Amino acid sequence: MALDPQLTSLIVPPDETTRIEDVLNRLVEETGGNHALLLDKSGQVIACHGDANRQDTTALGALIAGTFASSREVAKLLREKDFKMLFQQGVRENLFIALIADQWILTIIFNKETHIGLVKVLIKKASEELSAILQRVRQSRRVRDDVLGASFRTSMEDTIDLLFRD
Amino acid sequence: MALINVAAREIHCKIVYYGPGMCGKTTNLQWIHGQVPQATKGDLLSIATETERTLFFDFLPLDLGKVRGFQTRFHLYTVPGQVLYERTRVAVLNGVDGVVFVADSQKSKLEENVNSLKELARNIQKQGKKFQDFPLVLQYNKRDLPNALPVPLMDKYLNPFKWPRFEACAASGPGVFDTLKGISKIVIGKL
Ligand SMILES: Nc1nc2c(ncn2[C@@H]2O[C@H](COP(=O)(O)OP(=O)(O)O)[C@@H](O)[C@H]2O)c(=O)[nH]1
Ligand SMILES: [Mg+2]
Repeated sequence: MALDPQLTSLIVPPDETTRIEDVLNRLVEETGGNHALLLDKSGQVIACHGDANRQDTTALGALIAGTFASSREVAKLLREKDFKMLFQQGVRENLFIALIADQWILTIIFNKETHIGLVKVLIKKASEELSAILQRVRQSRRVRDDVLGASFRTSMEDTIDLLFRD
Repeated sequence: MALINVAAREIHCKIVYYGPGMCGKTTNLQWIHGQVPQATKGDLLSIATETERTLFFDFLPLDLGKVRGFQTRFHLYTVPGQVLYERTRVAVLNGVDGVVFVADSQKSKLEENVNSLKELARNIQKQGKKFQDFPLVLQYNKRDLPNALPVPLMDKYLNPFKWPRFEACAASGPGVFDTLKGISKIVIGKL
């Protein structure tokens, strides 16, 4: 199968999703944080744990990924080689963002009661676990048709024709 | 890279509208937002300056509902067009699955279009991808204006690889959905 990263999707199988959720779960528990999100660098939300009913998770994902990507460009201009984490301090809540193997972005939202030092240590541990998961996901190389079914594309095209019109 | 979450049965694709400043990228998203069914669209999020120019990006999530059991989501982004913001465009292009290159058909804008397309090629190549094979469609926008260049001439300068190409007037709608359908189908084909 072609290895051009652009032509293959990242397919996350159910057992790995469970593991990802466990990692996020633990991160929130152990830090006493409010919310943990795992994003793809494109801004899409892979999994989240915490304030379950946030309506704005999608927009949050797009913005956090945007912020992170833009900070990396700043880092490049400063000739900063190893830019992997970002801390954003708010009045009520803080945000800590870590990059995982250039593909995923782990974010934890926590309040004043949590010590930043603790977050740093635990986010590093979580990153290592997620990085191992990502590596397996990348290597598993499932064939799209096994997952989506061969007629997915035609059904998708019909849906596109139906919805994308004036 | 598109993301398929098997457990949640979700598919996500990212599409970026690219092009020089004022060519009509934001207008495309506004038109789409105004027309698609309520259940399909999320809020149109714009990070703009006070004068309405796009500062970081516009973002419009579209939820196409269940297709063969998979919830399918398209995330549309625009980049800020001004030359100054190249680094921001690089940031928005992160993880992109398909690009709509919006060209301004006005005669005076030809050079800006050409430069912007060159910059896009550079940025795609920097991600380690071949521009020629990259999922891309062109939109020649503002066809309603009297100083719009003839299509064959624009093809000559902007479409060496014979990408699918659509004529549009984003401000009044024609061509906007043809463009979106064009890129969506290419992206789906590459999943
Ligand atoms: N005449 C005409 N004007 C357009 C068209 N599409 C966009 N515009 C105008 O071009 C200007 C810039 O559009 P905008 O979407 O903000 O450009 P962006 O910088 O690419 O996001 C606005 O004043 C739009 O109303 C079109 O098809 N025809
Ligand atoms: Mg704009």
